[in-house]
Amino acid sequence: MTDPAAESPRCPTCGAPVLAHASFCEACGQPLVPTVPPPTAEPSDGSQQTRRLGVRNSQLATCPSCGGTIDADGYCQTCGAKAPSAADHYAESPSAWVGGVCDRGRQHARNEDAMALWADDSRAVLVVCDGVSTSADSDVAARVAATTAREVLVAAVTGGTPLAGAFVEAAAAANAQVVATTAPDSTNAASATLAAAVVADGRVHYANLGDSRVYVIGEDAGQLLSVDDSLAQAFIEQGMTRAEAESLPRAHAITKWLGRDSTEIVPRVGEQDFTGPGWVVVCSDGLWNYASSPEELAAQLRDAAADDDPTAVAERLVAWANARGGKDNITVALARVGTTAPKPHSLGDTVPASGEEPPEHG
Amino acid sequence: MAEFVASVYQNEFLPEGGTDVNAIVTIRCSGAGAAGRTGSGNAGEIIAVDTSGSMGLANMEAAKQAAMIALDNILDGTYFAVVAGNHKAYLAYPMVQTGAGMVPMDARTRAEAKRAISFFRAEGGTAMGTWLNLCKALFDSIGNLANKHVILLTDGENHNETIEQLDQALANCAGHFQVDARGVGVDWKVAEIRKIAQTMLGTVDIIGNPAQLGAVFAELMRNSMARGVANAELRVWIPQGAQVLFIRQVSPTVEDLTHRGSPVNQLTMSYPTGSWADEERDYHVSIRLPAKTVGQEQLAARVQLAVGTDLLTQGLVKAKWSADTNLTAQINPEVAHYTGQAELAQMIQEGLAAKEAGDLDAATSKLGRAVQLATDTGNTEATAKLRKVVDIADARTGTVRLRQAVDKADVMALDTASTKTTRIRG
Repeated sequence: MTDPAAESPRCPTCGAPVLAHASFCEACGQPLVPTVPPPTAEPSDGSQQTRRLGVRNSQLATCPSCGGTIDADGYCQTCGAKAPSAADHYAESPSAWVGGVCDRGRQHARNEDAMALWADDSRAVLVVCDGVSTSADSDVAARVAATTAREVLVAAVTGGTPLAGAFVEAAAAANAQVVATTAPDSTNAASATLAAAVVADGRVHYANLGDSRVYVIGEDAGQLLSVDDSLAQAFIEQGMTRAEAESLPRAHAITKWLGRDSTEIVPRVGEQDFTGPGWVVVCSDGLWNYASSPEELAAQLRDAAADDDPTAVAERLVAWANARGGKDNITVALARVGTTAPKPHSLGDTVPASGEEPPEHG
Repeated sequence: MAEFVASVYQNEFLPEGGTDVNAIVTIRCSGAGAAGRTGSGNAGEIIAVDTSGSMGLANMEAAKQAAMIALDNILDGTYFAVVAGNHKAYLAYPMVQTGAGMVPMDARTRAEAKRAISFFRAEGGTAMGTWLNLCKALFDSIGNLANKHVILLTDGENHNETIEQLDQALANCAGHFQVDARGVGVDWKVAEIRKIAQTMLGTVDIIGNPAQLGAVFAELMRNSMARGVANAELRVWIPQGAQVLFIRQVSPTVEDLTHRGSPVNQLTMSYPTGSWADEERDYHVSIRLPAKTVGQEQLAARVQLAVGTDLLTQGLVKAKWSADTNLTAQINPEVAHYTGQAELAQMIQEGLAAKEAGDLDAATSKLGRAVQLATDTGNTEATAKLRKVVDIADARTGTVRLRQAVDKADVMALDTASTKTTRIRG
């Protein structure tokens, strides 16, 4: 490797010139903080690939911002940047037709969304929870709620239990776990939304509490299946347009949630035939903030669905929402139903275009 | 082994474009043990008594009694010496010309030292720099002492030395031992003695009545003997490209440390904190960072306590940029409290200096602000001491009038206590 050597740093103790990656001064032996990562032990072939692997193999956690070393306290020793946490961005791909991505977004300090997926060859469970950011420990609440609800729903779908009841049971079990994360005397109880879909036997079974959503998106049209428990939804029901209601300052205030201070934890449930080709989408408001109507979401999905890999498609939707500002945590869980490519033009199976159709109540 | 625990109090949220991070870092020490008994090295104590002519018969007798009481409170086995100071410094005990200038305390050496003290006579001038230099030479003659502590008593101004000579002595001694300085009577200069105490990481106070000398010396010595942790350093790491605005001890007293640091490496400075007993100290750390975009989080400082090469505790000061003004607009109560307390110390010192210089308008306004700050921050001791110097018309607006007849001891007591702070927990 060639050494730039233009401005060699100096030891703060003795003033001797030192290498930028040195941990100790060779002149006086005093410790130094390296300002660049150490060169790799790969002098002959300096290609990007070998160098990158060399750093990885050294098992040093390297700061993605400046290349410094991540300290045991989770922050870079040189620039102080926070090491990315595993919870900030993760994907699940339980099957070739089911996948999802959960992301911190751009503007929130931590990821309080959570996602839990399950699938076999013909059946899938998609659960998304959005921790309410004004409450304490809502990231933990969302995580336990999502995994608990998934367990109950997987047991139901594999055991043949009626799903409408399973959703109610899943919400109750998730709520119990959320309550357990909060101290009884907390004035700011942890809370989270819940949106879940079970795809099986040509039908989509769904449920929600709060404003995380379930959509089905066909070839050219889509439908919002869930109904938000939010102030915006209340205004829509009074006759306001969706665009107008969702732009109100308190539009995102939710009226139902899981948590110790919740009074209503029975989700709204429903089911609908859906054989595709198309997508079942379960998402948090971090996505639908930028594409609320089924038409807008369908348009984004068409752009993102360059291939059939649901996790890759979810990654593109998350990237798109981040590019639009990433104001909130973003979760996108997808199940590909039927075949989407090559795209047939038969519209026989597509769902009605209306997003306002009242869902079935269970 | 002593245990240290750091706690951080701050509002880590910064608005878009925000750069300045303020935090109070509390460091608590427990299990400190006794000085010289923790295996890290022996303790050394020197009692330095002013024997200048101005001490007179009464103060000299009280000082002798107090020095003897201090000897009674030095644990056996501790190295010690007694220095008599006027315009020169004399080693009163042990009576040696060369070699080790301190001896271990036992029944015999204690009795011999008391006998040496009994011969003190008040005569000559005052040159405290020479006293300090002798103390350093005595500590150096033993070599491997861990805790090194001096009780210094004076009654007058440093007439027989220039300011430069004293500063030179302080530069020679700083970092080598600690000095608790006490002034008896009202003929000494608070600013002069405070400079010695602050540079030497000790305390300053006035002893208005010579009869209190014995009790004060006993307490100072007991406190020193309880400091089982020697030479602890506060280390502050900041990220590359950041800047320290200030580092300040804010409890139990306000001490600006900003310019007392020495570099450990390119990003870390070390600030001496002297020795520790079982106690808590609070530090106000103020750091300026390049602003990052909303949603980003980074470390603004690692605040560590180190003894030798051992890092014993670490507090993390963070910065999170947020668009939520509910989060970014809050001022942390601890930061607000200690910002007020630091301004209180400054207002008292500047107000008294203005009063002495005859600038009564400035004195009235600064002492008025001090009354207001003392009231706001619940510092009742400062309010009580201010009350002896000003008549308070309205404490909340800081409306005061300078009192006509003021006891000089009350002014000095207000001045020496100006840096003492009260604590809060929000």
